[in-house]
Amino acid sequence: MGRRRGLQRVALAGVVALTATACLAEEGGGGGGGGGGTAGDKSVEIVFGFGGSQSKGFQESLKEFQSTSGIKIKFTEASQSFDTLIRSRVQGNNSPDIALFPQPGLLLDFVKQNKLTDLSTQIDLEKVKGSLVPGVLQAGTADDGKAYGVPISMNVKSLVFYNKPVFEKAGYTVPKTQQELTALTEKIKSEGKTPWCFGIESGPATGWPATDWLEEYVLRLGGPETYQKWVKHQIPFNDPVVKQAAEALEKLVLTEGNVLGGRKGVVSNAFSTSANPMFNPTPGCYLHRQGNFITQKGFFPDKVVADIDNQVGVFYFPGESEDNQPVLGGGDLAAVFGGKDDDTKQVMAFLTGPDYKGWSEESGFLSPLKAFPLDNYKSELTKQIAKIGYEASVFGFDGSDQMPGSVGAGSFWKGMVSWISGQKDLDTALKDIEQSWPS
Amino acid sequence: MIKVINALLAIVAGVGGAVVLYWLLNLVVERLPGRWEDRVKPFVFIGPAVLAIGVFLIYPAVRTIVFSFANRTSTAWVGTRNYTDLLGERDFQITLVNTLLWIAIVPAFVVVLGLGVAVLADRLSPRGEKLSKTIIFMPMAISGVASAAIWRFIYEARPEGEPQIGLQNAIVTALGFDPVAWLQLDTFKVNSFLLMIILIWAQAGFAMVLLSAAVKGVPDETLEAARIDGANERQVFFRVVVPQIWGTIVTVFITVVIGVMKIFDVVYVMTGGNFNTNVVAVRFFQELITNGNAGRAAAIVVMLMIAVLPIMVYQVRQFRAEEAAR
Repeated sequence: MGRRRGLQRVALAGVVALTATACLAEEGGGGGGGGGGTAGDKSVEIVFGFGGSQSKGFQESLKEFQSTSGIKIKFTEASQSFDTLIRSRVQGNNSPDIALFPQPGLLLDFVKQNKLTDLSTQIDLEKVKGSLVPGVLQAGTADDGKAYGVPISMNVKSLVFYNKPVFEKAGYTVPKTQQELTALTEKIKSEGKTPWCFGIESGPATGWPATDWLEEYVLRLGGPETYQKWVKHQIPFNDPVVKQAAEALEKLVLTEGNVLGGRKGVVSNAFSTSANPMFNPTPGCYLHRQGNFITQKGFFPDKVVADIDNQVGVFYFPGESEDNQPVLGGGDLAAVFGGKDDDTKQVMAFLTGPDYKGWSEESGFLSPLKAFPLDNYKSELTKQIAKIGYEASVFGFDGSDQMPGSVGAGSFWKGMVSWISGQKDLDTALKDIEQSWPS
Repeated sequence: MIKVINALLAIVAGVGGAVVLYWLLNLVVERLPGRWEDRVKPFVFIGPAVLAIGVFLIYPAVRTIVFSFANRTSTAWVGTRNYTDLLGERDFQITLVNTLLWIAIVPAFVVVLGLGVAVLADRLSPRGEKLSKTIIFMPMAISGVASAAIWRFIYEARPEGEPQIGLQNAIVTALGFDPVAWLQLDTFKVNSFLLMIILIWAQAGFAMVLLSAAVKGVPDETLEAARIDGANERQVFFRVVVPQIWGTIVTVFITVVIGVMKIFDVVYVMTGGNFNTNVVAVRFFQELITNGNAGRAAAIVVMLMIAVLPIMVYQVRQFRAEEAAR
C-alpha cells in the first residue's frame, strides 16, 4: 500500500513538472510583455500589416542585417487585420517591439494612451528628418510636437493608370489639369465607352478607396492648409469644401455612364481587381486612379504585370492648374513600443538609414529618402511614379490614415459606402461622420 | 507540435487537477467530526464551481455594467451618455430593428424547417432518412465564416458585361436582366433577409437532429390510439405529437434565439454591417475594436444582457416545470 502511494506521488510530480516546462517553452517563444519584448535578448518582434510578396521582400531586406548584427527578428504578419491584431495585442499587454503602422490615426490613438515611445530617444531624429521627403514625417508627429512614427517607405496615390496600347491607339492625351481630365472623361464617354474603373469593396475595410478620392479633391479644392485642418479636425468634417470635393468626385466618376457598373457596381467591385476590365480585349473601362501598390503582382492580370512597362501607362492625377500639383500619399510608419531595448534601437537605425533598400519595387517599395537614386528602380513605370512623388509641390499624407481610428478606419469608410450605394444622401453621410468624431 | 502536446497536457492537467482537488477536499472534510462533515460537505463540493462562476462570469458582468457608464478608455464617468448617444443614433436604431427582425424570423424558420424535415424523414426508408438527414445536417458542421464565404459565391455581383461568378446573378443575367447587387438591396430589408437565409441554412440541421430524436421518442401507442379514434394525420401531428415534444421545441427555439442575438460572423463577413444590415454584435465589435470605445461597447453588451434575461428566465421556468411534472 505504502509503495503504491509513493508511485502515485512520483507520477503526479512528473505530470506537474512536465506541464510546467511545456508551458514555459511556449512563453519563451512568444516573447512580449508590458511594453515591447524583453530587453537585451537579441530578439526583436516587428508586426506589420502587409502580406504577399511585400511581406516576403520586407523579411528578405532584413536578412543581411540580422546576420551581421546578430539580432534575431521575429516577423508577425497581419495582412488582413493589422488594426485588430495590434489593438488586441496592446490591450492584452503583449505589445511587439516595433510595429509598422500603415495608418497614423491608430498610431496617434496609441500615443494618447501613452503606449508608444518618443522616437528622439530611439534614433538620430534630426538627421533622419533631413533625409526624408519634406512633409512625410508630419503624419507620425503628435500634437505635442514629438515624432512617434517614422516612415520607412512611401507610397503615391495621385496616379491614374491606363491601358497603354489602347490609350495611345485611341489618340488620347495625358491631361494636365482637372479641366482637361473632365474633357478626356467626356470624350471617352462620347465614344460610347465607359471612362472609369472604380471599386471600393475590401471586406471589412470596404469604402477606403473612396476616402482617397475625396481627399484628393479636398487637397486640390481647399489647398494644403485647409486639408491639414480638416484632417486634424480643426474645421468640421462636413465643411462646405468637403461637400464640394464630394460633388466633384460625383460629377467626374459617379455620374451614370462614367463608371463601370454604376454606383452599385463601385460598392460591390473588389478594389484589387476593379481595374482589370481595362485589359479585356474590349476594355470595360479606360482610367483607374489608385495608389502605386496596384502595379504589384496580384492586382492587374498576370500577363499585364509581366510586361508592365509596355502595357500600363500612368499619369499624375492633375491639380486644378498646372502649377498646383499636390500629391496624396502615405507610408509605413515604424513606431516603437517600450523603448528600453537597445536591439530595437539598432533595428530602427537600420530601417531609417541610407543603407536600407527596402523590399523590391515589384512589391511596391518607394523610398521616402529624397536622395534615393531613381536608378535604383528597375522599371520605367516605377521611376515615373517615384518622380511624381519626389516632385510634388506639396505631399499630403493620406487623411483617413491620420484621422482617429474610429473615423479614418470606421465611420469615414462606412459613410462613403452608404453615400455611394445610396443609403444616405451626401449631407447626412458627411454629418454622421462629423458626429462620430471622438471628443 | 509543441502546441498539440501543450494542449493535451493542459487537458490532462486540468481534468486531473480537478479530480485531485476534490479528492483532497473530500479527504479534509472526512477528518471533521461526524455532524460537521455533513454540514460542510455540500459547500466544499459546490464551492469551487461557485467560485469559478463568480470569477469568470459574475465579476466580468459587473465590471461591464460599471464600464458602460464610463468613457472610451474607462477613465472617467460619463453618466448615461453612452446609452443616450447610442439610442439616439439613426444607425444604431436600424441595428436594433435588424436584430429584432433576426430574432423574430430566424428561430421560427429554423424550428419549422427542422421539425418538418424530422417528421418527413421519419417516414422515409432507413437509408433515405440517413441520407437526407446527413445532407441537412452538414451545414451545421461548417463554421459561420466559411458558410458566409460559400454564400458569397451565391450573392456575388460583377459589373454588367463581366462574367458573373455569383449563382443568383448568373441566373438573372442568363434570363436577360441586369445583374443585381443583392447585398446592397435594402428596400424592404431584402439584403438582411438574404443574410438570414444563411443562418437558417446552417441551423436547421441542429433543430432537425434534436426534434427528430424527440419525434421518435413519442410512444407509438398514443399515435395508434388517436388513429383508432378517427384522427386524421394532421390532427395526430398537431394534437398528439407536438404537445409531447413541446419541451424540445422550446429548448431548440430558445437556443437558436440566443444564438441569433449573438449573430456576428455571417454579417461581418458578408457586408461588414454596411447597407443597413448591421446587427448588435457586429456593432459591439466595431465600437470596441475599430473605434476603441470601451464605454459604448460595454453599453451595447449591457443592453444585450438585459434583452437575453427574460428569455433565460422563461427557459429556466420551463425546465423547472418539466422537472416537476416528471
